[in-house]
Amino acid sequence: MTSMTLNAGAAVPAQDKPNSATDLSNKPATESTSVKTQEDIAETVGSPFCDEAKLRMRNVNVFYGESQAIHDVSLDIGRNQVVAMIGPSGCGKSTFLRCLNRMNDTIEGCRVEGDLTLDGEAIYGPKVDVVPLRARVGMVFQKPNPFPKSIYDNVAYGPKIHGIASRRAELDEIVENSLRRAGLWNEVKDRLDKPGTGLSGGQQQRLCIARAIAVSPEVILMDEPCSALDPIATARIEELIHELRENYTIAIVTHSMQQAARVSQRTAYFHLGKLVEVNDTETVFTNPEHDLTEAYITGRFG
Amino acid sequence: MDMHFDQHISRQFNEDLESLKTEMLEMGGLVTRQVADAVEALANADSELAEKVLRVEEDIDRCEMEVDEHATLIIAKRQPAASDLRMVMSVIRIARDLERVGDEASKIAKMAIALTDEGSAPRGYTEIRHIANAVRKMLNDALDAYTRFDVKSAMATLAEDEQVDMDYRSAVREMVTYMMEDPRSISRVMNVLWTLRSLERIGDHAKNICEQVVYLVQGADIRHGNEQNLR
Amino acid sequence: MTDLTQSNLTQEQVRERIESRLASRHRKEKIFRGFGIASIAFGILAVVVLFTDIISKGSSAFVQTDIELNVTYDPAVLGIDSVDDESLAWANFDAVIRNALRERFPEVSGRRDKRELYSLVSNGAGFELRERLQQNPALLGKSETLWFNADDDVDTYVKSLSKSEEGFLGRTSEQKAEWIKSLLATGELEKRFNTTFFTNGDSREPEQAGIRAALMGSLFTLLVTLALSFPIGVAAAIYLEEFAPKNRWTDLIEVNINNLAAVPSIVFGLLGLAIFINFFELPRSAPLVGGLVLTLMTLPTIIISSRAALKSVPPSIREAAMGMGASRMQVVLHHVLPLAMPGMLTGAIIGMAQALGETAPLLMIGMVAFIVDVPHGITDPSTVLPVQIFLWADSPERAFVERTSAAIMVLLAVLITMNTCAVWLRKKLERRW
Repeated sequence: MTSMTLNAGAAVPAQDKPNSATDLSNKPATESTSVKTQEDIAETVGSPFCDEAKLRMRNVNVFYGESQAIHDVSLDIGRNQVVAMIGPSGCGKSTFLRCLNRMNDTIEGCRVEGDLTLDGEAIYGPKVDVVPLRARVGMVFQKPNPFPKSIYDNVAYGPKIHGIASRRAELDEIVENSLRRAGLWNEVKDRLDKPGTGLSGGQQQRLCIARAIAVSPEVILMDEPCSALDPIATARIEELIHELRENYTIAIVTHSMQQAARVSQRTAYFHLGKLVEVNDTETVFTNPEHDLTEAYITGRFG
Repeated sequence: MDMHFDQHISRQFNEDLESLKTEMLEMGGLVTRQVADAVEALANADSELAEKVLRVEEDIDRCEMEVDEHATLIIAKRQPAASDLRMVMSVIRIARDLERVGDEASKIAKMAIALTDEGSAPRGYTEIRHIANAVRKMLNDALDAYTRFDVKSAMATLAEDEQVDMDYRSAVREMVTYMMEDPRSISRVMNVLWTLRSLERIGDHAKNICEQVVYLVQGADIRHGNEQNLR
Repeated sequence: MTDLTQSNLTQEQVRERIESRLASRHRKEKIFRGFGIASIAFGILAVVVLFTDIISKGSSAFVQTDIELNVTYDPAVLGIDSVDDESLAWANFDAVIRNALRERFPEVSGRRDKRELYSLVSNGAGFELRERLQQNPALLGKSETLWFNADDDVDTYVKSLSKSEEGFLGRTSEQKAEWIKSLLATGELEKRFNTTFFTNGDSREPEQAGIRAALMGSLFTLLVTLALSFPIGVAAAIYLEEFAPKNRWTDLIEVNINNLAAVPSIVFGLLGLAIFINFFELPRSAPLVGGLVLTLMTLPTIIISSRAALKSVPPSIREAAMGMGASRMQVVLHHVLPLAMPGMLTGAIIGMAQALGETAPLLMIGMVAFIVDVPHGITDPSTVLPVQIFLWADSPERAFVERTSAAIMVLLAVLITMNTCAVWLRKKLERRW
């Protein structure tokens, strides 16, 4: 892809890269990284779709009142796959993530268009109840936000409100399992009745993950889960994500490109509300197709 | 694909990458000079020049270590990705190839000394000169293609290696004929053979450098005949 | 990186400039701090003056001069021959008191002097005797020594004696002063703790006047107010903050709530009079109506403070609960409300304290009436503490001055207790996150 193609407008899709080595330009670099308007992003390059999609999004548009936050994004998230969403601040990656369990519903004036399906069932269908949807699609937030209750109650809250466990013993088992899977059990087993807010930041975030997996969701959405944590806590969470991958489908938004590279199988790059590129993480981080992706992950915006 | 390593938000990063590349290219220049000098020493039976080649070899080794160290530092500090990562990786690989070319050049220089000691000009010098010119051009072109991120020229240079290999094989056949004709010349001709072998290896290393140009610019690994990876 | 420094000043020049202004900056800071300390000092001074004044005036109301008399339940004097309700109603207990006084001061003669003598004792003494006899009919025909409240003039004089040698005579004649002194000398006149003040309702006679009726009235009124305004206010706040869509209607409601908080309280009184009394025909002067009116008045305060408390709950908690699949009501009931509760309670108690001190709207609905009987329910006619204070402050009798201050002290004590409760509840319920 040459700078000319990009600047000439949106007409030429990015896949139309020259197939042979003969057409490669060696012109001096001039303006290719100045591509920052939405018109320059024609359509998503790479492979946004996959065969065994857990979540299937087609032509998603999100509006906040008059302004459009997401432009025509189509993306599949495969079963038991970790998909990382990266992009500069305000590129719509978090907004997109929050569409997946309808967390945007609570925002005044937010409108979501397009087909979003979870296992083929419409997420934004007229009869869809968000309560069971959010039980199936759990979420972990940027700031660790345990409830100001005991560690036990934090984890037990989901099973309680959804009526998953009927007996105390059953609940105990769920709590222990969730904490074990979140790698927190050994650290907190002796103080389950202590407030969850008394834990360290990394422990709190793992508590939030334990809380999310306590209702056995199918998908876990993570919105910059490590942005408030130190590198060691971050490494723990990343390790945890790696382990969780066996049983869950995970979509993670992150500002740390290294993190995206480490934890995900596929990476989606968003820019100004558009999905610029989706590819295998290896490809994105060694040889991205789109110049914008390249510029972003190599730190060339400015 | 345009390559530009001067547009990072971090100016320091720009400078680091730029100086890494420059270091490697300087090393390239040194190695090219070595090959030329070694062949020259052989052709003119100039043992002094050959000695010089052997001395400079140490500088080249030091260069390789420096390039390696700087590349390691960039990886540690900047965690480069995409084209930056490919840049660093290709520099490391090319530096290794260049170092080996340097080794071959010093081998040729040793042959030159050996052949000078034996006196009379043996047969096979024409072939050596022919192949030496070809691989020197390849090496120059490869480094040039790297400097300009020129995949086209790199691919062209890469193709030249086949010709060099063919020339080498025919030269070897010729040398074998000489040895059969005149068994007394075997030890001398063996030296010529080793030299030819070294030159052929230099051609291979030049080919490797071309492959790194493709890797750097296109991100495709076409080593070991995997040219289908080329986009 | 010299091109990064924006001006051409050297570091020394910059430092000099900073230092040249340092002195004036420090001075300004000191002045600012001085202002703060001065205003706090003024506030403390005002409080101290207020409390000293009230306590110095009112503390004496907690004691009351009593007089000891030897009374004889003589059926002839009483004009009855058996103890039953009807005869008790007719019985002349005042005569018994008068006899007792004449026995104590046999030298007094002449109508005027005798009247003077009789006025030593409160004219409520007869009722006391009646109650005693009613409870204990066997006393008929016997005699006993009892303590009675002295008249307020006596009380005033006795209390003034402790301040100066000759004391404050006022309406008290020289002759009466002599009797008082002689009674004091024999210990038949004594200052005792004023139980009447806490057990009686209002009275025209200061020595019989108490704040019980007003206190109970205030209590009932506040109970009604709390029972109505807290749930309504909290519910309204939760709806507006958590559920209501943000549109022109909710904006309008919000503006109106804020305006209502600024409406003069007497307007609420008029409203109460028009709606509750004239339209719904609820009883006048009743704590029920007072509570309703005060509910209207405190609702905006409670709604506003509850909304502020709800707003201060971090959105991350809501998101967390919502992300778990909690319904909106579960989010509010399980997470938001417990966290907002301390703030809401504080708001409610501030509202209650405001209601407790309110007079104007209650005047409009008749709670200014002269109420002698202690109310026993929310529909009994009653008055409230501030109104009682207002009434007493208006009374001519000198003894009411100290009772006014004493009532203010009681009112303040109740207020401080309420505020302490607020702080305690806040501390107890507050949870960190």
